[in-house]
Amino acid sequence: MFGGFGRPQPSSAEKIAAAEAEMDLVTDMFNKLQQACMKKCIPREYREGELNKGEGVCIDRCAAKFFDVQMKVSELLQQEAQAKGAGGGMGFGGM
Amino acid sequence: MNGPLFNPPRDGGMDGADAQTMAAVRSMQMLMESCPGKTAVSGVMGFALGGAFGLFMASMQYDTPLSTNPNAQAITSLPLRQQLKQGFRDLGSRSYSSAKNFGKVGAIFAGTECCIEGFRAKNDLKNGVLAGCITGGVLAAPAGPQAAALGCAGFAAFSLAIDSYMRRPSETD
Repeated sequence: MFGGFGRPQPSSAEKIAAAEAEMDLVTDMFNKLQQACMKKCIPREYREGELNKGEGVCIDRCAAKFFDVQMKVSELLQQEAQAKGAGGGMGFGGM
Repeated sequence: MNGPLFNPPRDGGMDGADAQTMAAVRSMQMLMESCPGKTAVSGVMGFALGGAFGLFMASMQYDTPLSTNPNAQAITSLPLRQQLKQGFRDLGSRSYSSAKNFGKVGAIFAGTECCIEGFRAKNDLKNGVLAGCITGGVLAAPAGPQAAALGCAGFAAFSLAIDSYMRRPSETD
C-alpha cells in the first residue's frame, strides 16, 4: 500500500489502523451493496419472509454486477491516477 | 450492527440441532425450491389429484342401466365376478389416464413457471400467464396450430385468474 522506496516496517499501531480502515471499507461496501440490491430486487409489498426464486436470482445478479462495477471503476481510477500523477503507488488499493 | 461477518439468527429456536442436521435440512429445502424439484413435486401431486378426480368421474358413469349400453350383451353374459373385474379394470384405466394428464399439466406448468421466473428474476403474475400459455400450447399441439393457440389462451387465462385470486390483497390490511 505504501509504494515507493525504502519503506519502513509498519509498526503494530499502523497495522491495527490499516486493519481498522480496511474493516470500515468492507463494512461500508457491504452495507451499500445490501441497500442497493434490496431496493432493486425486493418489491414494496410482500406476503412472506422467505426469498422466492425470482428475488434470489435478482440478488445474485445484483451482487455480481456490483462487484464487477466496483472492479471496473477502480481499474479506471488507477489508470486515471497513473496517467495524471507521478510514478506508481497512488494506489487506492484494489478494493 | 450490519457487517459481512454478521450472521442473523434464523429458524429461531433450533439450537438443539447440530450443524450437520441443519446443513442437511437446508440442502433439502434448496432441493425442493429448485426447478427440477418443483417440477417433480408438482407432477406427483398432479398425478395423485388426477387419479382421484378420474376415479370419481369414471365411477359416475355407472349410473345408467347396463341395458342401454351397446356392449351390454358381451358383459352381462359373464359371471358376476368377471363383470366386477371388468368394471374395476375400466375404472382403473380411466383414472390412470386422467392421472397422467393432470401429472403432465402440473409438471410442465411448474417447470416452465420456475424457469421463466429464474430467467426474469422477478416474481409477478406474468410468469404464470406465460407458463400457462406454454403448457396449454404444448398439450394441445398434437391437434394442430389453432388448437394450440386456443389451449394457450385458455390456460393462460385460467392461470391468471387463479394467481390473481391467490395474490389478492389480504383483508386484514
